[in-house]
Amino acid sequence: MPIQINRGVVGKEFPPYVVTVERGKIKEFARAIGDLNPFYLDDRVGQASEWGDVIAPPTFAVTFRDESADTGALLRELGTDISRVLHGEQEFEIVRQLKPGESYLCRTRVVDVYEKAGKSGPMAFVIRETAISDRANEVVATLRHITVIRL
Amino acid sequence: MKYGRVYIEDVGVGDELPPLVKGPIQQIQLTRYAGASGDFNPIHQDDEFAKAAGMGGVFAHGMLSMGFVAQALTDWSGAGSVKKLGVRFAALVRLKDTVTCKGRVLSKASKDEVHTVELEVWAENQRGEKVVAGRATVALPSRA
Repeated sequence: MPIQINRGVVGKEFPPYVVTVERGKIKEFARAIGDLNPFYLDDRVGQASEWGDVIAPPTFAVTFRDESADTGALLRELGTDISRVLHGEQEFEIVRQLKPGESYLCRTRVVDVYEKAGKSGPMAFVIRETAISDRANEVVATLRHITVIRL
Repeated sequence: MKYGRVYIEDVGVGDELPPLVKGPIQQIQLTRYAGASGDFNPIHQDDEFAKAAGMGGVFAHGMLSMGFVAQALTDWSGAGSVKKLGVRFAALVRLKDTVTCKGRVLSKASKDEVHTVELEVWAENQRGEKVVAGRATVALPSRA
């Protein structure tokens, strides 16, 4: 018996949250991927660079999380749980590099929810967008996240 | 060309990225990525949980493979050059799999002194099956 997905979440905006990027977190993330690029890892290389400090790898903003706006919170509202979830698609648009010590405001909203027949049965696709802005309120990056729920 | 920086003049449509080979994927890397990313979904850590969820066992975070693809890009185009990266997770990456990231230049554009290259990017497992497929846009400097 397939589960029912609550389409009422379409258009929902999660409470905005602030993330401050930690230097060590950038390095931990790059090393976990095995990407040893000195522009992420070496403070001296960062200081001498056009950015004046190390920068975060392109997918780093996926670490920006908040309990009230994370996948777990979304799943509860959708009426499902983590065991049914797959990551379908992900997109990053990067306007400016994320740097240590900077604080960013993250605003996530649910753009769409739709159902489709998949290879292994019915699936729901949940599309979320997160806009990340700096202290000047300029958007520095946008994330588009498609979660697949096996119904 | 590790950590290289290419110039827009050196890039031609159809050029291929140097392939980046990652893996074999080990559980410790998935645990490390969970800690670094904050994605603690037990489906990437706990084989029993993953089996009970009908997934046949533990598999890698899609975002780890996307991180590999991003590395393949920036190893070629330089850190900080990626303007856009979007992928579809086409197949699961399992423990012991090898992931090879590839890319090909689709087009070049120059506008207002900003030079960009659009690429098709993907990652394959050791059987040549695509596990990640997508597009990227990178900004490159000019020799001019």
